[in-house]
Amino acid sequence: MVDDYPFLISTASPSQAHRKMAFVLVAILCLGLVATIPAAHTPLTGLSGLLPAYAAAALLLEALTAALLLALYSAQLSPAIMVLGSGYLFSALLIIPWALTFPDIFPRLGLDPQLQSAAFVAAFRRLGFPLFVLAYLALRDRPTSRDGSPPAARRMVGAAILIPAALVSLLSWLAIGLHGDLPTFMASPLVATSLWSYIPAAALVLYGVALVWLPLRRRTIIDLWLIVVLFAMMIETVLLGYVSAGVRLSLGWWAGRTYGLAASGIVLIVLFVEQVSLHDRLARSMIAERRARANRLTAMEALSASIAHEINQPLASIVTNADAGLRWLGRGASHADEVQAALQRIVAEGHRAGEVVRSIRSMFSSKTRETVPVAVNDIVAEAARRCSDELRLSRIVMDLDLGSSLPKVPADPVQLQQLVSNLIANAVDAMEDGPADHRILRITTRKIADGSVAVSVADTGCGIEPDLKPDIFKPFVSTKPDGMGMGLMFSRLVVEAHGGRLTMSDNDPRGTIFEFLLPAMAEIGSDRKEAGHDV
Amino acid sequence: MTCDATVLVVDDDAALRQSLDSLLRSVGYAVASFGSTADLLAARRPAGPACLILDVRLPGTSGLQFQAEMAKAGIHLPIIFVTGHGDVPMSVAAMKAGAVEFLTKPFRDQDLLEAVHVALEKDRARQAAERGFRETNERVASLTAREMQVLELVAAGRLNKQVAAALGVSEVTVKAHRASVMSKLQANSLPDLVRIADRITAARRRT
Repeated sequence: MVDDYPFLISTASPSQAHRKMAFVLVAILCLGLVATIPAAHTPLTGLSGLLPAYAAAALLLEALTAALLLALYSAQLSPAIMVLGSGYLFSALLIIPWALTFPDIFPRLGLDPQLQSAAFVAAFRRLGFPLFVLAYLALRDRPTSRDGSPPAARRMVGAAILIPAALVSLLSWLAIGLHGDLPTFMASPLVATSLWSYIPAAALVLYGVALVWLPLRRRTIIDLWLIVVLFAMMIETVLLGYVSAGVRLSLGWWAGRTYGLAASGIVLIVLFVEQVSLHDRLARSMIAERRARANRLTAMEALSASIAHEINQPLASIVTNADAGLRWLGRGASHADEVQAALQRIVAEGHRAGEVVRSIRSMFSSKTRETVPVAVNDIVAEAARRCSDELRLSRIVMDLDLGSSLPKVPADPVQLQQLVSNLIANAVDAMEDGPADHRILRITTRKIADGSVAVSVADTGCGIEPDLKPDIFKPFVSTKPDGMGMGLMFSRLVVEAHGGRLTMSDNDPRGTIFEFLLPAMAEIGSDRKEAGHDV
Repeated sequence: MTCDATVLVVDDDAALRQSLDSLLRSVGYAVASFGSTADLLAARRPAGPACLILDVRLPGTSGLQFQAEMAKAGIHLPIIFVTGHGDVPMSVAAMKAGAVEFLTKPFRDQDLLEAVHVALEKDRARQAAERGFRETNERVASLTAREMQVLELVAAGRLNKQVAAALGVSEVTVKAHRASVMSKLQANSLPDLVRIADRITAARRRT
C-alpha cells in the first residue's frame, strides 16, 4: 500500500544524508545538555520579558508543523499522520493558556491566574504530546484509507482541528476556573514542589517508549525526524525538571526551552525543504509522464495519417482512372483500348485498397497476436497502479472493485492493458474540468451470467453530448478539443478482436460508463466470427 | 487541342501515374511521368509550355522541398500539388511559394484539368515574354555603334537636324541610319521605336 506514494515524507525512507543530519542534531543537543549542567542553577530573572516571545515562537513552529501534517493527511489519507498533526496542534494551542497564566507575565489581562494554573497546563502539554506520538505509532502500520472521498477527508481534517481545540479550551477553563482545587505543583512562582517531579518522570517514560518504538518496523522521513524531536524534548525535560531542579527562569530552564525550540524549528525547516524537493521530483516525473502520453498520441496521429495515405492512394487512382475512362469513351469507339486499360487499373486498384484495409484490420486481430489465458483483475490492477500518480494530481478518487473468482480470458495482455489504460485516460480527461470534490473513477470487474468477464470504467466527468453519442466509436469523433477521435475506435477494435463487445452508457448523476465484455476461455470461437462484421 | 503543351507528372505511385497519364492524354496533352524528382531532372525539358503535377509526399526530398530547390536553381515550371493528406499550413506554404493549385487525393478531374490549363497558360505567357525579350536583345545586338547613338538621340526626342549636329554628320546620313535602325528593330513608327528603346534601357538598368 505504502509503496504507492514513494514521494511523500510520510512514506519515503530517509536517505543517508537525513540520518547523518539527524545524528549531528542529536549530538549537538547532548553537548548542549552537558555544557549547560554546571551553570544550570544560575537564576536569570531579568529575562522574564522574553517569555511571550518564546511562547509566540513555539506556538508558530508547532502550528506550522500541524498544518503541514494535516495537509499531508488530506493528500495521503493516513489516520496516523492526522493524529500526529492533532498532537502538534494540541501542543501549540496549549502554549496560549500556559503563557497567559504564567506568573507575572501578563498581569494586566486580569485573568487572576493562580499559582498552579501554568504548571497544570504545562503538565498536560508535557504528557499530552508523547501520547499523541504513541497514538501515531499505533496507527502507523495500519493501511491508509484509500477510498475516502474528498468531503470525508475534509470532515476528518475538521475533526483533527476541532478536537484538540476543544480539549485545550476545556483545560484552559479548568486551569483558570478551578482556583484552589488544582494539584499543588508550584511552591512559589519560580520553584516547583516535589509533586511536580512526577510529571517529567512520566514524560521521560513516555518519550522513552516512543523512542524505542519509532525505529521498529519500516522507518520513514517523518519517523526519523520525530526521533530528533522526541530527543530534544527529552533533553528539554531533563534540563527543566532535573538539572534546573524545577526552578523556573534559571539558566538551565531557559537553555532547555531554547534547545527544544531550535530542534523543532530545524525539524520544521527540514520537513518543508523535503516537501518542496519531493514535490519538485514529483512534478518532473509528471511532466515526463505527460510527455510520454503526448508521444503516444503523436504516434497514433502518424499511424492514422499513414492509414489515410495508404487508402487515399488507390482511391485517387480509381477515381482518376474512371474519369480518364469516361473521357476516352467521350472521344469515340476508337479508344476502346484506353478505356479497357483504365477499367483494368480500376479493378487492380480496388483490390489494392481491399488489401490495405485487410492489413490494417489484421493489426488489431487476435489471430496474428499472441493470446494467452489472462487474469483480467491483474491487468486492471496494473493499469490502475500505473495511473495512480496522475489520479492523485488530478484529485481523482479511485474506487477499484475487483470481482472474485473471475475466469481467465484468452487475450493479448499488452493490448488489454492498453485498452484499460486508454479508457482510464479518457475518464481522467473527462473529469479534468469538472468540480474538484466529485471526481470519482470507478473501475469494476465482475463475472456475468454467460461466464464472460465484464470490465467497466465509470467517471463523473463532463459526459458525452447527446448528438455525439451515436458516433462516439467512429474514427475522428472526439469530445476533447484537441482529441484525434481514434482512441475509442481502436479500443473497440481491440475488444472485438478478442471476441468481445465495448458499450457506452451514462453514469448517474454525471459522467460516462464504458464497459467491455470478454468471453471466457472456452467460448471464444463462435463469438469472434460475429464480431467481425461491423468494424 | 493544345498539342504543343506537355504535362510532367511526378508521383512515386506507379498506378496513380498511369491513371494521370491516361486522363491527361484523353484531353490531348502530351504527358511525361516520373517516379521521382531525380528522374524528372535527368530528363530533357520539353520545348513547348509545360507544367508539373507533383506529389507532396515523395521518398527522399518532399514535393515542397523540391519546389524550393527548383526556385533556387531558376527552373520556372508551374506546379500543381497533389497530396494524400494535405493540411492547411502545408497548402498555404505551397501556394505562397507560387504553386498553381493544391489538390487533395482523390481529386475531381475538372479541378485538375482546370489547374493544368491555368498552369500551362502561365507557362506559355512566361515563355512568350522570354522569347520577346530575347528577340529584342538579338535585334539590339545587331545595331552598329553609330546606329545605337542615333537610336538613343531619336528616342530622347531630338530632330534629325539636331542628331546630325550632335554627331557631326549630315542630316542625310542620320536619315539613312534611322531607316536602318527602324528596319533592324522591326519598328513601324517613331512611337514604336521609342517603346523598344525604353525596354532596352529598362533591361540594361535591371542587369
